[in-house]
Order: sequence, then structure tokens, then C-alpha cells
Amino acid sequence: MNNVNSSSAGLANNPKLLIKLCQVVKVYKTAAGDFTALKGISADLYAGEFVGVIGRSGAGKTTLLNMITGADSITSGEVIVNPGNGSSTSIHALSENALAVWRGRNVGIIHQSFQLLPMLNLVENIMLPVDFSGHYRSRVSKERAIELLKLVELEDHAYKLPAYISGGQKQRVAIARSLANDPPIIVADEPTGSLDTLTAETIFEIFEKLIQEGRTIIMVTHDNNLGPRFTRRLLIIDGQIDSDSGFHIPTAQVQQ
Amino acid sequence: MNSAYTPSLIQLRQVVKRFKNSAGEFVALRGVNVDIPTSEFVAIVGKSGSGKSTLLNMITGIDHPTSGEVLVNGVNIYQMTESQRALWRGCNMGIVFQFFQLMPMLTLHENTMLPMDYCNVFSPAERPERAMELLKMVGLEQQAHKLPAAVSSGQQQTAAIARAMATDPPIIVADEPTGNLDSRSSDEIIELFNRLVEQGKTIILVTHDPSITKRTLRTLIISDGEIIDEAVAQALPLLSHAKMLKVTHLVKRMEISPGGMIIRKGQNVDNFFIIVRGQVEIVLESSKRPEVTLGQLGPGEFFGEIELIHGGDSIASVRAAPDAPVELVALPHKDFAEMLVGSPLTEEALSRIVQARLAQNRSADRRTGWW
Repeated sequence: MNNVNSSSAGLANNPKLLIKLCQVVKVYKTAAGDFTALKGISADLYAGEFVGVIGRSGAGKTTLLNMITGADSITSGEVIVNPGNGSSTSIHALSENALAVWRGRNVGIIHQSFQLLPMLNLVENIMLPVDFSGHYRSRVSKERAIELLKLVELEDHAYKLPAYISGGQKQRVAIARSLANDPPIIVADEPTGSLDTLTAETIFEIFEKLIQEGRTIIMVTHDNNLGPRFTRRLLIIDGQIDSDSGFHIPTAQVQQ
Repeated sequence: MNSAYTPSLIQLRQVVKRFKNSAGEFVALRGVNVDIPTSEFVAIVGKSGSGKSTLLNMITGIDHPTSGEVLVNGVNIYQMTESQRALWRGCNMGIVFQFFQLMPMLTLHENTMLPMDYCNVFSPAERPERAMELLKMVGLEQQAHKLPAAVSSGQQQTAAIARAMATDPPIIVADEPTGNLDSRSSDEIIELFNRLVEQGKTIILVTHDPSITKRTLRTLIISDGEIIDEAVAQALPLLSHAKMLKVTHLVKRMEISPGGMIIRKGQNVDNFFIIVRGQVEIVLESSKRPEVTLGQLGPGEFFGEIELIHGGDSIASVRAAPDAPVELVALPHKDFAEMLVGSPLTEEALSRIVQARLAQNRSADRRTGWW
């Protein structure tokens, strides 16, 4: 694993602002008229945080995630990554190609329904071409794919098709794939939504390991009970932040 | 029949699939035989756990049978190595999934190019244009450069179908393709499938949505790992799947040569007959008068129920049409009676048909001066 910029040890004293959401508004045009999914969201997210975006179905959680990855266009406002230093990027100001390159290097995406190609084995799923600029130039090496499968403890299944492994194992493969380019930011949309509690626990353990490495994870969930798992909770109601638990690095990490 | 000489595009022969787990052994498929000719649009339906997705996985070669054979275009797909099969699959099957399985970091256009890249079909220079044409065909050219997250679920599934078409495979299989969509989006998906069938593609989909099976050419019902006889399912649609399967087990199969007599007027009737293939004629005949044909019945239709329900001898003769043999299944009297006791809905439906047929019979008799 390559080094990620900041390790969590020094975070409590010197938190690094990673993502700045400034008055983010998203309006969808529909046949029935305009629908405002996000009504001006502002928040500062720091490197090394495990952020839970919590809210009911339709609250705007996934839309907020799409604003952070640049998967969908913003109506107004700004999403700035690495604000205040040389690599500061206002991602919605980038061209489509530049945004794809930025995303490919900086963001790993995980979905509730895994989105693995069932006709490819696990290694091939991870080695799939990764988009940097609209071309399939960058393939992950087989060694790297196996190394990532090791990280999620699935190296013994490397050449199986997804049909032969469980839902929890599929999600671990999806996590391994999201790490292919060693991105500092992982976004996960209901990653435990189709898993039982015990299996969900194994996913959280991996996430916590990734946080220890200094990565930042932003996870959407409708499940309020998961709240204590996060180091930061954003409660979204009706397109707005209803409450924000604020930046806080847990004691265990501060003591390191 | 032509089909006896031209093998079907897809043939399953005695396919058995057993799963072993910590709780023991589970038989998902119990010797399934299926023939699917080119350009059919087939729905596989069944309750959750009936074996429908397993059946689909046998056809795509994503899973493998415990015993039995699967032939696609005459090729036994389980005699290939895993990697040969992967390549074969890429060229011959487009697969569509309930949860789309689009790569989240790639645009719809890039997702559509993926199979061509992976199977190395069409030249690299052709691929972007072909992907765009496919997206145009499914009405997504405006969304082509968006990521899956930025379009609706229906659009994601539509893109997944475009991707399934990328290598121009003759067969498309889809597992609950509309299971996650609203009714309007699923209508559009089925409409798209219909267009592909018109272009000569063969489509097999697993679904539990009855509004979809109405729009496919053929429905295979699977119950407890077995396929229900299609004629039984057509003739007795109000039976539960478990009861249809029981009838499938109880019937005797018969073949009658062209023009052959099945029931003679005035004789005792001791079976309920369902037509599997061919046509039968219902006729009133006598040595004194000219013969009167009351009607013709075809596949999925039945006869014999009047006498079994009302008692008494046959009120008309039934024989195979003169031009082709007839294949029938026959349910013995005792089993027919038990079936009606077990399914009041079926009894009610059959009674209505009996009344209608008796009325038709009487009016035909009066017209021809029989009475």
C-alpha cells in the first residue's frame, strides 16, 4: 500500500481540512417541476474522518455523495478538495475529463449492490480498466489485484466468479476494487444495506482498518443504529443538515 | 415437426444441480429438460427458491450442473475449460442483472465498451462508435457520458442492456431485470426486449412479475426444481405451482396419428385430455347423417371435462386433425376429481367452460336437425 498523505496520529492536534462543502444546492428538473434535493449544505470534512451521512430514504444522502464525487453536476455552491493548499481543487469547476482524472486518483466508490461483473472472476473484476481520461490506459496489475484481495482476506477465492461467494465477500471485493488506485477518499452508499448484521461487522472492521491507514471514508446509511460506528455524523433531513456531530478524533487514535 | 430435425438454440438435458452446505444437501434442479429455439422470448417464473436463477446460471455457464448437459448452438458448454467458457460467454451471451452491475467509475459509454474490450471483438477504433450507437438505440445518447450514479435506475438498466448487446450476442439473459424498477421503466425495458426479439435475438428472463409474463412469447414455470408441463400450466392456470407440478407428474403422455380417433361419441370417458401439440377436431358423426364439425382445439386447450364433471358417455367424438399428429397429456378420472376438490377456483373456471360448451353443442345440434 502506498503512503496516504497524512497518518491519523497527528490529526487531533493538527487536523487537515480535506473536503469543504460550501452552500451545495442540487435541483433536479422533472416533468412534474423542479425538485430541490439539497438546499444549501455546508460542512468541513477532515482527513482521517469516518463520516456517516445518515438520513431517511429521499433525504438527499446519495445526492450529497454524488456532489462529493462529482458523479452528478451541482446546481450552485462549491465542493473544494484540499482547500487552502497547492492542490486545492474546486471539483465542479473541472472539465469532464479533468474531473474523471481527479476522481480516478482520489476517490474509491462502493455500492450497496456491489456492482461486480458476474462473468469476470474476482481478480479480473479488480483489474478492470480504470478510467483516467476516457481511455482504458491504466490497468491494475494482477499482483496488485491479488495484494488487494489479500487485504480483504479473499486471496483464496481470487479466481472464482462472484456467483460462488457470499454477499459479504462480494462487498469485500468491491472494497478491494475501490482501493485499486490507492485513493485517499472512499465513498460508500449503503455498503452494508444488503448484508446481515454479522457480515456488516466484517465490512466495518475493514473500514476501520482503512481509517487507521489515514484514509477518509464517507458512508451513506439510513440506519440510525450505525451512528456510533462513525467518528463524524451528519444527519440529513429534507435536503439539509439537521445536525453535525463535528470534527472529533476518538481517544484511541489520539493516544497513538 | 421441424424441431425434431433442427436442434434448438439452447437445449438442457436432464440438468441436475445440488448444493451442499453445512445444513446438508439441497437439490435446486431435479433433471430439467428445456428446448429454446432461436428468436424466442421466454420468461422463467417461479417462487423464491424454486430454482429459477439456478436454471439461468446453468444456461449462462456462470454456475455448472452436477449432472446433465447444456448445449448452446450444438456446443456442450460444460466441456469447455473455465477460460474458454468465459470467452464463449462474452461472444454468445449478453447478461442483464437485477442490480445492473455497472462499473461505478465508468460512464455509461465506457461501461458499454467494456465487453468489446474484454472479449476483444470489434476493432479498438470501432468500439466507441458502436457503444454510442447502442446507447442511441436504447435512447440514452444524451446520458452517454454520465456516470451510473447520475442517471435513474431505469436508465441504468437500459444502459446495462446496451452493454449486454455490445458483442452482438445471439442470446440475452436477464435475471429479474425489472425487479428494481417502477412500472413505467419496466414497460420500457420489456418494449426494448420485444424489439430485440424482432431483430432475431433470443431472450430469456427470470421474473416474478405476472405483468411481464403476459408480454413474453412463452412462460416456463419452475417449481421445486422441476419445470411444469407447459400445456398443463396453460390449461389450468389457476392451480398453485405445487399442484401444477403434481398434475405434471400424474399425466400420461400420448401421441395420436393424423386423423386418429381419441374419444368416440357415446363411449365412456375416463381421462381429462390436454393438447400439447397439434389440433383436434370435435365432431358429431353418425351412420345416417353427414358429419358435423363442432370446432377445433389447439395446444393448451383441453377436452373430456364435460363427461368427467357431469358423468355419462361422450357427447361428441374427438379426433386428431387430418394433417398432423397430436400430442396429448391425459389425467386419469380419479386424479382429475382430486384436483378439482383441491382447487375450487379451477373447478369454478372449468364449470363455466362446460356450460359454454354444452350451450354451443346444443345449438349446433338444433341447427343440423339432430334433435
